[in-house]
Amino acid sequence: MHKAVDRKMSDPISRKRFLRLCGSITAGAAVAGISGLALSKIGKEGGTFWQIDPAKCTFCGRCETDCVLAVSAVKCVHANRVCGYCDLCGGYYRSNVKDLNTAAENLMCPTGAIQRKFVEDPYFEYSIDESLCNGCGKCAKGCNSFGNGSLYLQVNQEICEDCNECKISRVCPSGAIQRVAASKAYILKDG
Amino acid sequence: MNRRITAVTVATVVAYLGIIVIWHVYSPDRNIELQNPGADERPPETARKANDVRIGEFFMRYEETASGLTGQWPRFRGAAASNILQTSAPLSLPQEDYPELWEVSTGEGHAATVIHKGFVYFLDYDESLSSDMLRCFSLETGREQWRRWYRVPMKRNHGFSRTVPVVSDGYIITIGPQAHLMCCDPVSGDLRWAKDMQAEYRTEVPPWYAGQCPHVDKDVLVVAPAGEEVLMAGIDCRTGETLWQTPNTPGFKMSHSSVMQMTLHGKSTYVYIGLGGVCGVSAEEADRGTLLWSTSKWQPSVVSPSPLQLSAGSIFLVAGYGSGGALLTLDRQGSKWTPTIVEQYKANEGLSSEQQTPILYNNMIITVIPKDGGSMRGKLVAYPPSDLHNPIWSSAADERFGLGPYFILNNHLFVFKDDGELYVYEIGSRSLQLRKKQRIMDGVDAWGSMAYADGRLIVRDAHHIKCLRIN
Repeated sequence: MHKAVDRKMSDPISRKRFLRLCGSITAGAAVAGISGLALSKIGKEGGTFWQIDPAKCTFCGRCETDCVLAVSAVKCVHANRVCGYCDLCGGYYRSNVKDLNTAAENLMCPTGAIQRKFVEDPYFEYSIDESLCNGCGKCAKGCNSFGNGSLYLQVNQEICEDCNECKISRVCPSGAIQRVAASKAYILKDG
Repeated sequence: MNRRITAVTVATVVAYLGIIVIWHVYSPDRNIELQNPGADERPPETARKANDVRIGEFFMRYEETASGLTGQWPRFRGAAASNILQTSAPLSLPQEDYPELWEVSTGEGHAATVIHKGFVYFLDYDESLSSDMLRCFSLETGREQWRRWYRVPMKRNHGFSRTVPVVSDGYIITIGPQAHLMCCDPVSGDLRWAKDMQAEYRTEVPPWYAGQCPHVDKDVLVVAPAGEEVLMAGIDCRTGETLWQTPNTPGFKMSHSSVMQMTLHGKSTYVYIGLGGVCGVSAEEADRGTLLWSTSKWQPSVVSPSPLQLSAGSIFLVAGYGSGGALLTLDRQGSKWTPTIVEQYKANEGLSSEQQTPILYNNMIITVIPKDGGSMRGKLVAYPPSDLHNPIWSSAADERFGLGPYFILNNHLFVFKDDGELYVYEIGSRSLQLRKKQRIMDGVDAWGSMAYADGRLIVRDAHHIKCLRIN
């Protein structure tokens, strides 16, 4: 044993052997990188994504607090075709609101992500500023207590890290977060 | 040394001043925007305040289910306003529990249901939306069909909702906790008409909100706004047009009691217990709306039960909160009516009730004695109309029911204890026998009246409505 070690240590690596070794490492890294990229692309296009089933979601609020991202990848989505365009919107105004106006103290959304525009009395068109949405689901809960549920939550696939095991899915009390085919990455209420 | 101290002091002061200046001048985030009123570009003329009520303005349909059922529980105390129902199908009293068909959550309150051709209706109050909400459900599935609502902010006061609607082909009419009248199409949910009794009649809403249930007589809604000028009014159910009004000459105010129609000495009469006394208004075409008689000899501060006719010339009156019962007799000489309170007594001295209206059945007045009823408190009792102080029978010592509702179906008395337990008794002429007992829910304040149609019984507590298959 001592003898073998001594021989190995005593043989200096030749230049040719060194270059061959570097070449092998470089080629291996290139193959591994290309394979990884290819697999990643396959994951995005032909694989599956995490998504929320609106029919199962209970708006518990964990999407906001349990996503690995600093600001959750879960965002509120608005289905205009489902919306009642109500003035008194349970997703827009907080409970027991005093005045039906856009002052911050009257609004359900803690970040001001839901905006609305007057259409005609008494109808308003609602929209979501996704850059402000933190996925808390308060608006969706309020809207669903109305009953039509035009506000609901979805994972934004552009932001989602697509973790192997979604941290939100581990704590979701209703099992609403599930893997969906990449070809149907969103479960939309208005098609 | 002194120069050094001075330099340090000056430097410290300058540093602090610098921090203060920077604190006020520097904004850590320049993207902050104030969220002010007007961002939705709402025209000023459409601005809304909390008390700006537009009755029936919101509507949502969820399903459109057809039903082949024909049963009816169309109003407070059923079709005959008696809380008694006789059906052709024999009553089922199985050993096992009645199966629960469906359940819905409600806003906190006591408003009970009506049933019309396979659909269940009640006037809920949604606290999150601060809204009175007429909701329609399928009797068979319990699935919500539609709801119509309007914003009317108020504070909880032993719940919110109280009243039972009245429904018929072409209309369903509700009275909200703040005395708002709303009429809708029972199928489509379309708003037909609405009235604000506080605004129109200057009605003073009683403590714990309005409890009056609407009465309909030949497609004419009869309500007792008991406002400054109008005691009672007749309104066309289909159009909302006011057909007649009775001046409030007795000066009564609105109570929680409801208008009851009776034939007294051959004359059809609307009888109402207001805060201030009792009155009778003609229900006949020739002089409809005319005040026939009134008396202030019996005027409890709070009245929930409605008047109960005992004979052609006598009416049993009862109220809670220590008021007890009273017997009113009427003498008629032509057009002259003379009401007389022939006896009145405290709750612990005889037949009494705090919240539910007693039932007159087989020459017995059946009720639950209130908590101030002495040793009989909470017991189910029956008294003969001729003796309001000595009961014919009473329930067992451990069968006490609080403020829960009761009604009679095929000679069986269904009593819903206010903690959510259902009792079924068979009524005898001298006794009653417990036939069935079932825990329906861990109930809280189950005070709303029951409704029955097509073999299905509907009960509620302060937060839930349940439908049972009992026949």
